[in-house]
Amino acid sequence: MQTRLAIAIAAVWIAGNATVPAALSQTSDIAVVVNEKNPVKNLSSQEVRNIFAGDRRSWPGGLPIKLFVRAPDAHERAVLLKLLGMSESDYKNYWTAKIFRGEVQSEPIALFSNGMQKEAIKAYPGAVALVNMQDVKPGMKMVKVEGHLPGEEGYPFN
Amino acid sequence: MRHHQSVTVLLLLMSTQGSAQQAASPEQETIQELVQQLKELQNRVKELESHQPIASSTQSAPAQMADSRPPAPEETSNTQLPFLPQELHELRGIQWRGFGEVNYKVLNQRTPELGSYGFVPGSHGNFFTGDFDLLLTSRINDKASVLAEVVIGEADAQRFEVDLGRVLFKYDYNDHLKMSFGRYHTGIGYYNTAFHNGGWLQTTADRPLIMEFADDGGPLPTQAVGVSVTGLIPSGGLGLNYLAEYGSSDTIRLDLLDGDIEDESNSNHFDLGVFARPNILPGLQVGGSIYHDQIQDSLRGGVKIGQSILNAHVVYLGHGIEFLNEGFLIRHAYEQSSTVFNMPAFYSQVSKRFGRVRPFLRYQYINANPGGFLEDIGLRHGPSFGARYDFDDNIGFKAQFDHTLRRDLPDLNGLHLQLAFTF
Repeated sequence: MQTRLAIAIAAVWIAGNATVPAALSQTSDIAVVVNEKNPVKNLSSQEVRNIFAGDRRSWPGGLPIKLFVRAPDAHERAVLLKLLGMSESDYKNYWTAKIFRGEVQSEPIALFSNGMQKEAIKAYPGAVALVNMQDVKPGMKMVKVEGHLPGEEGYPFN
Repeated sequence: MRHHQSVTVLLLLMSTQGSAQQAASPEQETIQELVQQLKELQNRVKELESHQPIASSTQSAPAQMADSRPPAPEETSNTQLPFLPQELHELRGIQWRGFGEVNYKVLNQRTPELGSYGFVPGSHGNFFTGDFDLLLTSRINDKASVLAEVVIGEADAQRFEVDLGRVLFKYDYNDHLKMSFGRYHTGIGYYNTAFHNGGWLQTTADRPLIMEFADDGGPLPTQAVGVSVTGLIPSGGLGLNYLAEYGSSDTIRLDLLDGDIEDESNSNHFDLGVFARPNILPGLQVGGSIYHDQIQDSLRGGVKIGQSILNAHVVYLGHGIEFLNEGFLIRHAYEQSSTVFNMPAFYSQVSKRFGRVRPFLRYQYINANPGGFLEDIGLRHGPSFGARYDFDDNIGFKAQFDHTLRRDLPDLNGLHLQLAFTF
């Protein structure tokens, strides 16, 4: 307990006395990642929203989009909900209604880690997910959003 | 794992302090001690982790969070691959979803009225189950799927009738061409295709009368068998979509006043619609449709009537707000005579969520001509208001008060309580 307290105090102290380099402030950017073979290179913010809202369900060429999202409490999940303008409860009801309307068969598969998201992206040619840019690994292809890659000025998702 | 998180955060913070530390501040000694302490903690965490079993897909949420750090290559290959096939396999087989409700309704008069959903006409008030709805979906391949909605509805005297609300073979070629074959809910209005038979999905306890199913007294052909095609129209930020339907509705209406059954013997219909979901305001939908078929007035010797129904709607859903507005013009043109009836109708509904509570207000209006095919409806208008309380994401309770003004009939007051759930 004392150790934990000491660490917490130290973290607060260091954070309060340090000048965080600009580059670090951008490391929380959330990348839009797709399968390496997916030819898409750039999307608008609205296109990303439409994809994760299930309103757009195929890539150019007809390849079905396969959505993967993080389970509740992950940072990527918070960014997703912010993007959609929904609470966790709204999100659940939204997909229930979408299933009921016959627009989708199921809500997006929620994964427990970015490692699992990586495997999913590699496994499905039409896969797309939101991943913390620090966790983007070989096998995942980052897509530009509004012409910017994560970490660049003007990138919209963090 | 919390130790691990804290350590990771602290290390990140400290790793950025390189240049600051070069200034050799008086606190440097303290920092060195903390770094030493961190190293010891790291070793302890590694030791603890080495004794933990391999992570499973059923980890708790905090554990999932901790795994957001970059996994080492060997971690990925050793711990994640074994459970990925189970997690990510295509959803095959039949997926089930259910919706149910239990209702209590009371009216201030005994005159038979809206004897549907199991409500006993002539009673002051009674309990009934309404619709029990089972939704089945099954994916056949990446583009083809099947959907069925089986509705078990309560009729009079606690008899239960099974209705195949929808059964569709769906083929989504791409976003621009999505086809459905089978029995569908017509795209005659927004409400019909947004809520179907799922009472739980609705904010209010019942549907607006103009959107009520025909077998519950509604005036429109809400169900049909045929083909329905929809998709995106390339239109940039306007977000235009089209809808085209061709089929047979064969509507059977319940007369609101005396409970008679009227078989409209509809001819084949077409329904064409277009709606926009502009990017500028996510949640907004503006659109309209035109429907046409031919019906027969079975109560007047089977005279044929050309039926055209125009719809326009403006809907906004977002930030906890629900704002539904639909207007209709039902045109009945009698063959072999110059008789034409134009019957307007609309409803407007607004609600806002405050935590678990969503108060709502709806005003509806329908004006059917005396002597026309829908004369039992006549002129009806009035407000409904109440609130929905969500116990959680699956159970809701609704209390709704209705005040309806009717032409040549006394005003009608009603209280409708509903427990709605999904599973």
